[in-house]
Amino acid sequence: MKKKYLIGGVILILVVGYLLYLSFGSSVSYYLTVSEFLESGSEFHDTNVRVAGKIADSPVDWNAADLELRFDITEGGRNLPVIYQGAKPSGFKVGSNILVEGKGHPDGVFRASQIIMKCPSKYEPVE
Amino acid sequence: MALPVAILAATASAIGARIGPGWPTTIARNSIYVLFGLFTLALAVIIYAFFTRDFSLRIVVEHVSRDLNAAYTLSALYADKAGSMFFWGWLVSLFTAVLAFQKQGFHRQVKYYALTILAVVQVFFIALITLVVNVFEKQPSPVAEGFGLNPLLQNFGMLVHPPLLYLGFAGFAVVFALSMAALITRRAGAEWGAVVRRWAIFAWCTLGVGNLLGMWWSYNELGWGGYWAWDPVENAGLMPWLVGTAFIHSMAMRRRRRYLVTWSRLLIVFTFALTLLSPFITHGGIESPLHGFYGSTFPPYILAAILITLVGSSWLLYRHRDSGNEEKPASLVSKEGAFLLTNVILVVLAFIILAGTVLPRVIEAVAGVRITLDRSFFDRTCGPVMLVLVFFTGVCPLLGWGKAVWSPAERNAGYFLLAVLVITIAILVFGIGNWYIAVMMVCSFPLFIVLQEWYRGTRARHRARGENHFLAFLFLIGSNRARYGGFLAHIGIILITLGIIVSSFYNIERTATLDIGETMNIGKYELTYDELIFRQDNVRARAIASLSASRNGRPVGVMQPSYDYWFRHDDHFAEVAVRSTPAEDLFVSLVWTGFDPGDKSATFRVLVNPLIVWMWVGGGFFLLGGAVAFLAEDRQLYRDRV
Repeated sequence: MKKKYLIGGVILILVVGYLLYLSFGSSVSYYLTVSEFLESGSEFHDTNVRVAGKIADSPVDWNAADLELRFDITEGGRNLPVIYQGAKPSGFKVGSNILVEGKGHPDGVFRASQIIMKCPSKYEPVE
Repeated sequence: MALPVAILAATASAIGARIGPGWPTTIARNSIYVLFGLFTLALAVIIYAFFTRDFSLRIVVEHVSRDLNAAYTLSALYADKAGSMFFWGWLVSLFTAVLAFQKQGFHRQVKYYALTILAVVQVFFIALITLVVNVFEKQPSPVAEGFGLNPLLQNFGMLVHPPLLYLGFAGFAVVFALSMAALITRRAGAEWGAVVRRWAIFAWCTLGVGNLLGMWWSYNELGWGGYWAWDPVENAGLMPWLVGTAFIHSMAMRRRRRYLVTWSRLLIVFTFALTLLSPFITHGGIESPLHGFYGSTFPPYILAAILITLVGSSWLLYRHRDSGNEEKPASLVSKEGAFLLTNVILVVLAFIILAGTVLPRVIEAVAGVRITLDRSFFDRTCGPVMLVLVFFTGVCPLLGWGKAVWSPAERNAGYFLLAVLVITIAILVFGIGNWYIAVMMVCSFPLFIVLQEWYRGTRARHRARGENHFLAFLFLIGSNRARYGGFLAHIGIILITLGIIVSSFYNIERTATLDIGETMNIGKYELTYDELIFRQDNVRARAIASLSASRNGRPVGVMQPSYDYWFRHDDHFAEVAVRSTPAEDLFVSLVWTGFDPGDKSATFRVLVNPLIVWMWVGGGFFLLGGAVAFLAEDRQLYRDRV
């Protein structure tokens, strides 16, 4: 009786472990800040990475015809220009925390496939 | 607030209650009532402050404004970090009072130990909302107007989703307390089983519906066209439900045999611990991009509570372990075996989600490398496991208790299963369809089984008693509510699974910028952008677009999504337009427009999501099944002392 459970358990662990291993490898992405990303050079031109920063106080360009959003994110005193195919999400304001996911590019402009706003749940008073 | 004092009194007397009946139990009961009274009074004070717009309180200033309607004013309570914990704590105190008030058939000691544990849980909540963050915190400088509720939270789903989750969490606290009390005293009997079962089904059902309503909210309000993103906060609500589901199934086993006693105790401990993990995640213990309360000081305290729960319960489990008087399943090919397997699968599922949620943070703490897992991790790991689970929903009702014997019904099922397998393999081998069709075939199996069981039962009644078919069907469900309630819930889960699978893999999405008069095509739909109307009140400026939609050339109606600028929040929020049919949803979101009467060009995000309606229909079945099972009177079924 005990043996049967043991074998079953081992098989289960192996299957789950294999599933985890398979998925972990392909779903994992590095998560850097803007300054860390800028120091990484060309490391993330081919692999997906998430970069965290704040929306910089520089012009935000939205091209409605091409559905292209261009903006800068900033952290540690350094700026990273970003291109994203899509409209501004709610909460997109200067100083908001943002996560951009995508790849770096030799021209220095980050190609984001996804942007995630880290919306504060409470809104600060407008002075 | 003198609440902590009251709590300590409650705890002390509840502990004293174990000495014997008489004055200690009276004190215990009364202090629990007083505690509930104080909690309710505090709740009333907060709600009164909400409605009178008392802007000297922080909680009112941050979430309420003068123009907010009554329902949303009430929901502002759980929009707040302290307020939500307060509401949860109040529910625990309500349930504790109910438990104290009810006359249970089970032993007095069990009851008072359970009350003790619940009183301790309340001490934790009260300490959190008075000592760490005060719900009644004053605003430093008075203001004339509050910020109002976050526009995203102004939706029916958000009105109901959080309270349902907290009902579920608080309900599992009661189940946990009763289980631990039974463990300490070893005096649980049939009545105990019936009471625990009811609380567990109540908690499980509210938590499940609460999660689903959260998905509904996300779909209808957030405007990204999806309902589930494997966000840590979403996972936090799902994990206790999964383990709770396993617990309910293991209880069903216990009703028949003395199986899995220790296992089901472990399950309830983990369920309770996971309900505590939920606020830990929501209050910023694990970074969540989608929602969460930032800058909350709760996480360390909650983590401490989780550790205490785990360590305390494992010590109890170890001390009161019963050695070797548990029955073992005779064969894996039996109902017991199948139940055991589903239990294991549910726990594995919860474990994978827990790993995916927590592991990146652990790796960061240990190795100093920050990584994230995207949702494909969860899709790839949980998808196959869930499928096996759905398959077992079909197998379980077929297998008899003890050793399996083939009956005509099982032969039928066998043929059906064979057909499913053949078609599935054919599809995969010849590449006619793809994996998703195979998945749908797998889902059809349990559906077939449930319908077959119903058909056979109804026919038997019809023949034996001459009842007409419809009545016979209703009486059938009435005759064994636990069993058929379970079937109803299973149908709900299968429908939800189907909705999820089909809508995630067969949806089409397009984003386009249109000028007035232009059209866009998506799937069988054609959308013509007719007009953009501007409206303004003192809360928001709205740009409401009108698009006439046609399907295969036939007009099906006008879609009116809007893009709203909320003055006080200085931000834009989209209100989506959804047209639902049993076959598919047309989902239109207005994501950008310049608010310029001269240039009314606007950007639309349009999705066609097939079969998504069935998720919500499935939720209805799930709720109905839970209700039927909740009403089951089967205390005589708990024959064994636990």
